[in-house]
This record gives sequence, structure tokens and C-alpha cells, in this order.
Amino acid sequence: MLQLLVDGLVVGSTVALGAIGLTLTYSLLRFANFGHGELLTIGAYAALAVVGALAGFAAPPIGPFSFGWPLLAALPVAAAATALVALAVDAALFARLRARGAAIVLIIASFGAALALRNLLLFSFGPLPEYYSREIQIAIALVPRSVLGGMRVTPDQAFVLGLALACMAALHLFLSRTVLGKAMRATAMNPDLARVAGIDTAAVIRATWILGATLASVAGVFAGLTGQVRTTLGFELLLPMFAAAILGGVGSVLGAAIGGLVVGLAESLLTPVLGAEYRAASAFLAIIAILLVRPQGLFGKAAR
Amino acid sequence: MSAALVVEDLVAGYEPGLPIVRGASLSVAAGEILAVLGPNGAGKSTLGKAVAGIVPVASGSVRLDGREIAGDPAHRMVRLGLGFVPQTENVFAELSVEDNLDLAAAVVGAPRAQRIAGIFELFPDLARQRRLDAGRLSGGQRQMLAVARALVASPRVLVLDEPSAGLSPKLAQHVFAKLAEIARDGVAIVLVEQNVRAALALAGRAVVLVEGRVRLEGEAAALAIDPRLRDAFLGRGEAA
Repeated sequence: MLQLLVDGLVVGSTVALGAIGLTLTYSLLRFANFGHGELLTIGAYAALAVVGALAGFAAPPIGPFSFGWPLLAALPVAAAATALVALAVDAALFARLRARGAAIVLIIASFGAALALRNLLLFSFGPLPEYYSREIQIAIALVPRSVLGGMRVTPDQAFVLGLALACMAALHLFLSRTVLGKAMRATAMNPDLARVAGIDTAAVIRATWILGATLASVAGVFAGLTGQVRTTLGFELLLPMFAAAILGGVGSVLGAAIGGLVVGLAESLLTPVLGAEYRAASAFLAIIAILLVRPQGLFGKAAR
Repeated sequence: MSAALVVEDLVAGYEPGLPIVRGASLSVAAGEILAVLGPNGAGKSTLGKAVAGIVPVASGSVRLDGREIAGDPAHRMVRLGLGFVPQTENVFAELSVEDNLDLAAAVVGAPRAQRIAGIFELFPDLARQRRLDAGRLSGGQRQMLAVARALVASPRVLVLDEPSAGLSPKLAQHVFAKLAEIARDGVAIVLVEQNVRAALALAGRAVVLVEGRVRLEGEAAALAIDPRLRDAFLGRGEAA
């Protein structure tokens, strides 16, 4: 039971980071980006490429972790690469469609962009799963087996959970304390007013893509680190990310973070009851239950 | 007195080929209040929004202190010295009063603390509510914050879209008194208003827009007793 909590929180933190990016782009651009999953995959593969390029250096694992410094060095590179792809897709595709003002066209275009990016990755990296490290890790027992089955956590899982929480805290400070963060919130609230208040909304949109893509790349690396790096990595997390964003209340960053953790926990806790084959469905059962009680999501505002 | 804002033959509307403002011209000098009046659907608000850069301009000219700004992005106009106060949804409801002002000052690179202190001196009510979310302010306070938000960027020209809409006569009078104070500091004010009597009492000059064109213009006091004003609102006659 306790072990399921840890597993759920680790998966949930990855989902949460992805869902935050999804909800940020939704609240500023008013469209659900079905290509967001691919940003996770691009981040995961960009990091893999950096780790591969640095393979010549002697880089033993850091402390108890399975990875050495190359993966840490790969994180900012992966974030930059993912942000560049997000900005390029926006400039080439979404910005042009936004100017014509049809949200449904944007959504369909995001499906197209997702397919194109996924197949480009498949073409470039092949269909076989890859790993950042093949080191074996020993899980640390946090709670003895005699207490509710015990709780064990691998150092990599602890790293994922810790860095995810740090990212969320940093994002909270950024949005609540910095001018750019407040400008993002203001643009999301009322784009026309933001413009007449002197905010360069085009620059804010670019910053939002960079922020969303950065979080997505970190989530992609997390998914690769706790599982495999494969071309369907982001696509497989897309529905849980949407579920988290909706559950938290679309447009709410805090909601997406909590929603991600709830989705991870729901998947983990309901799997023994419903069976592994219904793992994805179990999260949606939890969401249906919550939305029946609170249709606007956990932190969303009720429609008037 | 040289004009701070000059609008000439402005054609503007939301859809290409469907102009709402059809060749309007006006000018306003520093420290002057110009009322833009007209019946419903005359294009008053669209004119204000087009000048502020949030409704596309098809043709014509908008000059701020002699510099052509028609077609410039709205945020650039703010930095050049043109402030705009929309009629509704004119504050960031989920930001505090102070954050609304701080953000508006920061994006134009203004000295934030100093400007906000100056604004709080002019609007002591807002100073008392500085930590409150703007969405929780009363209608009158919200309107004051909207004006304050535009003022914090130190505009030379301030365009307001029906600032008295939805306010009680007493509150509207309070807002208008503040506008008079702001104009005395040398800011040129374009006041788009439905409340003809109050606007003419406040403004030095006025233009009356009918079907997107200026039908009447002149000194506010003279227009207030001009029978052509009523005709323009009732859609009668073609005044000069």
C-alpha cells in the first residue's frame, strides 16, 4: 500500500510537469495542444543524444544514482532543444493559424504536428527503446516491510520526485514574483487588456512556449530515467497529462501540479484493484468521480 | 496650443471591408479634455480602440506628438505615451491592486515604487486596498484602478472608453473629477462617453460621431445648447 503511494507520486510528478506546460499553453493560446506529448519525447531524446555524445568521458554514477554528470549536463541542453522545437512549430504552424482565429483548426494542426514529430524521432533514433544508464540501483527501505507492506524508493525515484517539486516551487515563485510571470498571468486573464497595459503579448507567448517546453523536457527525461526512452514516451503520457490538467481545472498551474500527482496516485493505487491492463482507465475513473462533484476541476473557476 | 493627438480620416473596423469608423478626424491638446459623443452604434468605442491599437486600422492617420502610430502594436503605443482604459474587464481581476499597477509600470520600464507612490497619492482609496485582488473591488474602485493602471505608465494622451458606464451618478462624478485633475497635470484626454450631459460639463471640446463620421464638433459649452446635438442623436438632418 505505502509502496503504491511512492510509485504513484513518482509517475504523478512526471505527469504534473507535463500537465503544467499543457495548461500554460492552453491558458495563453486558448487551444489544447495535442503535440505537447512530443515535447516530452524530444526532451528525452535530446538528453539521450547529449549523454551519448559525452560517453567518451569517464563519468561514473553520482553517489547512489544510476546516472553520472552527463545526464545533469544534458538537462539544460534538452530544455533548450525542446524550446527551440516548440518555438519553431509555433512560428511555422500555430502562429499562422492563430492569426486566422479558429481554435478547432489549431487542435487538429497540433495532432498533425505530433504525428510528424513522432515519426521524425522514429526515423532518427529507430524503434528500439534506449536507456540513460544500465546501472543497477538498490532501493532504500524507508518503511519496513512489516508496516503496510513497507516502502522502498530508488535513488533515481527520489531524484525525480525532488527535482519535480523543486521545479514546481520555482515555477510558483516565477509566476507570483517576477514581472514576466505576472505578465504571463495577465495575458492569460485578458489578452486585449494585457496589450493596452503595455505587455508585449507576442513575447509573452514565446516565453510561455519556452517555459512549457522546458518543463516538458524535464518530464521527458524523468520518464526516460524511471522507464525507457522510446518514441512513444510522450504520446503515452498525453492522456494522463490532459486528465491532470482537466482535473486540476484547466488554466490553473497549481491545479495541473496537484492533478498530475492525483492521476499518478490513482493509476498506482487502483491498478491492484482493476488490473494492470486498466491502469490508464483507472486514472479516468478517479477523474470522473472528482468532476462529478466539482465540474470545474479542483482549482478551476466555475463557469458563470 | 499644439495637438498631442491628431486623428485624420481614420477608417477602422473589426472585419476587413466592414468599417465601423468611416473617416473620422479629431485632435486633442495637452491638458485638454475632448469628449467623443454619439448615439449607440456610432463607432465611438471602435474609434477609441482603433486609436489604442486593438482594432485594426484600414486607412487614415493617428499621430501622437507628431509621430505616426496608426497600425503600431498596442503595447508599443503605451510605451510611446498613449494610455487606454477599456470600458469593461479593465483590470486584471486575479492580480492584487498593487500588482496591477506594478506590472503596468514595469513593462514600460518606469521607476515602479515612485510611480505607484504617486498613484496612491492621487487615489488614496486604492492605497488602502493595495493587497486586495482587483476582482474584489467595487465598481467605482475598479474604474479608478483602471484609470490608475493607465496613468502609472505616464501617458501624454489618455483615451477612456465610457468610464462612467455602470456607475452611480455620484461615483461617475467622482471619476470625472479625477479626470479633470489628471488633465490639469497636462495629460490630453479623449473621453468616449454615453453620458452626454456629464461629458459636456467636463470637456472643453467635443465631437459627435454619427455612423462612423464626425457630424458635429465644437466647444462643449456651445454644443450643450446646440439643437443640432439632439438631431444628431435622433438621427435627424445632416448638420455641417
